[in-house]
Amino acid sequence: MHTVSAPSLSHAAAITPQIVQALTQIVGDRWLKTRHAELTAYDADGLPGYRAMPSVVVLPGSRDEVCAVVRLLAQHGIPYVPRGAGTGLSGGALADGIVVIGLNRLTRIHRIDAGNRLAHVEPGVVNAWLTRAVAPYGLYYAPDPSSQAACTIGGNVAENAGGPHCLKYGVTLNHVAALTVCLPDGELVTLGSPVGEVDGYDLCGLFVGSEGCFGIATDIWVRLLPIPQSVHTLLADFHSVQDAARAVSAIIATGIVPAALEMMDQATIRAVEASIYAAGYPIDAAAVLLAEVDGLTIGLDADVRAIEECCRAAGARSVRIATAADDRARLWQGRKKAFGALGRIAPHLVVQDAVVPRTQLPAVLAQIHEIGTRHRVNVCNVFHAGDGNLHPNISYDANDPGQSERVHLAMREIMQACIDAGGTITGEHGVGLDKLGYMDTLFTEPSLAAMCAVREVFDPERRSNPGKVVPVHACREWTSKGRT
Amino acid sequence: MSDVMRALVDQVAQAHESCTPLRIVGGGTWLTAGRPCSGDTLPVGEHRGAVEYTPGDLTITVRAGTTLRELHETTAVNGQWLGLDPAAHAGANIGATIATAADGPLSVSMGRVRDLVLGLECITGRGEVIRAGGRVVKNVAGFDLVRLQTGAWGTLGVITEATLRLRALPEEDRTFVVATDQRAALESVLAPLVNLPVAPLAMELVNGALASTLGLPASLCLLVRLGGNSARIGGEQGLLGVLGDVSEVERPVFDALQSCEPLGAMVAQVSHMPTLISTTWRHIVDHCSAHQIWQPMLRASLARGMVRMVIPPDAYAHMDDEALHRFVRLLAPPGAHVSWQQLPTKGWTQVPSSVADRLSVGIRRALDPERILNRGLLGEPDGDAAVHAVRATGASA
Repeated sequence: MHTVSAPSLSHAAAITPQIVQALTQIVGDRWLKTRHAELTAYDADGLPGYRAMPSVVVLPGSRDEVCAVVRLLAQHGIPYVPRGAGTGLSGGALADGIVVIGLNRLTRIHRIDAGNRLAHVEPGVVNAWLTRAVAPYGLYYAPDPSSQAACTIGGNVAENAGGPHCLKYGVTLNHVAALTVCLPDGELVTLGSPVGEVDGYDLCGLFVGSEGCFGIATDIWVRLLPIPQSVHTLLADFHSVQDAARAVSAIIATGIVPAALEMMDQATIRAVEASIYAAGYPIDAAAVLLAEVDGLTIGLDADVRAIEECCRAAGARSVRIATAADDRARLWQGRKKAFGALGRIAPHLVVQDAVVPRTQLPAVLAQIHEIGTRHRVNVCNVFHAGDGNLHPNISYDANDPGQSERVHLAMREIMQACIDAGGTITGEHGVGLDKLGYMDTLFTEPSLAAMCAVREVFDPERRSNPGKVVPVHACREWTSKGRT
Repeated sequence: MSDVMRALVDQVAQAHESCTPLRIVGGGTWLTAGRPCSGDTLPVGEHRGAVEYTPGDLTITVRAGTTLRELHETTAVNGQWLGLDPAAHAGANIGATIATAADGPLSVSMGRVRDLVLGLECITGRGEVIRAGGRVVKNVAGFDLVRLQTGAWGTLGVITEATLRLRALPEEDRTFVVATDQRAALESVLAPLVNLPVAPLAMELVNGALASTLGLPASLCLLVRLGGNSARIGGEQGLLGVLGDVSEVERPVFDALQSCEPLGAMVAQVSHMPTLISTTWRHIVDHCSAHQIWQPMLRASLARGMVRMVIPPDAYAHMDDEALHRFVRLLAPPGAHVSWQQLPTKGWTQVPSSVADRLSVGIRRALDPERILNRGLLGEPDGDAAVHAVRATGASA
């Protein structure tokens, strides 16, 4: 088990009893957590094997309270970490000895504008609640990360979350119209516009995915989509991962944009089928491919037939097609519950996230298999094949130092293989703490320095989620170059 | 690094040292857009051609000087396309298209420029080469400098290379004109569209002046571009019938839409809530009439709530400075946003800068501290005012 070493915060002031009292005055006694037993609920996020204990957790209940808290912390030079549901998978919500600003109380959906397909929400609204709330209007919110039953829209904005359906519909970034943001000095600004399209630098787009380093979004305007008229789901199983990957390329080449195109390898299939989430996937298959098309009813059958043909031509052993909601849910069950099934195998599950060019999928999957075998770890792949977004997962016991070491070595090699294939280190989980060490490999020094410089415009003291996303040394090099 | 690239980097670095303003020039087709801006020419037009194209990845990496026509030809050979159709000459290059975030009717189905650019290489105003994003279709590594550079009109960096998201060409791609009832109010013409289950590649409401320029009958109509299999297109075509008479036309109508805007025209995009599109449209028509502009070319993207207004030079030649100022200042209906793209020089004095806020000034200062890149193009505050704006709000140490 790793404990996170504190980022360089020599400039950070201590949190005195006076500051605690001032915070209490803002949010009330009930919403300030200082006791060890209370703080342990905030000492980890979805990244296994890492713990960091905050000194204080403050839970504001309104936009004004968020700003008051941030202003108070600014006055005293105290760093903080914004936190949603804590489901993030990159350690982005970890706070070592500093303040956590929890946003779970900000759960209001201010307005649903069905005509303009727009919703104005607070950051603590849970992703799946929003889709439920707008369903009566025939609308839904497209980004659907696997944690959508728990994760918050604010967290989704911070991480630029994706999900299985972003192949067709895009990631969070493509669905955010505007944000009101409390900057790290407490000033409230609106980026983008919920009404019409504004000129100027795309500060709203820049903020999405900034992992809490640019401030706290207090108001989020998201775009909604009409619920598709029809949805068809196909499940094809293959003798080899290569065949499944060829099917993926063939489907994409038809010009049809599936709503989702997901793949699971044999290790994942077996874990799913051995669990209570068994979905009837053939356990002798080397890979299964889950394809979904949605949209207008007219012409959709032809798309389904075209996809089925692509699968069969690539060597699919069987193709099942479901149209009714219950049948589709059954095909999806194994995919949606794959992480739960993998989590049963061992106490901890590390869910990795990398992206490679689609044509590199077969070669990189073979490399991942070789790396896993060499380090004696069991890598299960369940991933968004349509956009080359891999999720190599390893179940292990983080309390076993030897095993942990092997897992970390294997993961490092897997990430390097993805980078070498022309890919990137994260497609939807964020850099956080977990991927910090890869940033130097992926980006040149001037590129990282430019990121630091932009961050400093929002947060000159680097107090908002300090030590995340860009390695601190990259910023130091920039600063030492002499900012005029 | 190629010789052309080396020369560009050296020129920017020297300009940074000597605080010499640079005017970034690619194909030269966009120089009439934006505010007046001068400086030593930084020629990126010769930095062209594909760097990497693996059709199976549906991405292409090209140098900034590559023209939209070249991109179209290169990708079409493999049954693919870049779904980007800005109102621009086919000789316009991709660097300028990204820098100006210029998109067109296809944006409703393909996404806007910012959704299509996956990675960028730029030269900052410090003369340093930075890379943002990557060559894969999904990427959240680091802060999103791709979004920041797209639409920054070159003021945060000289775009030198871009990786773009491609799509496979649809099985069929057909264009239809829906003639509307000329006597009916715009609201009632558009009302059936709200719940009509069609998902076109592009759909534009076009006024009579623009329609006749496109070679269509000179009356208000809907241009609809449908893509997909023939069953789907046939079904959608049938549904469009509730709006008016539907007839198929040659697809080059949409190509003509890209190239029909006359030189020297005043061009603005006015956007508001999509549900208010009729109000926005009528406001612009009335505003033009009030200024004796009788034949503005108008088209509207209903999904984006946006009207594009093009006023040919002879249609506004009669306006004196005061009339022009008033016309520019009052174009937007209440609550709407106006994005002026082309204006006579004297008109720009009436348009507030969109990058004068503290954050924008700070970002410009971070990436181009001497403001050498396309200085003045966005009407940003001058050097002293910019420093003041940053200091006043404590955004700089």
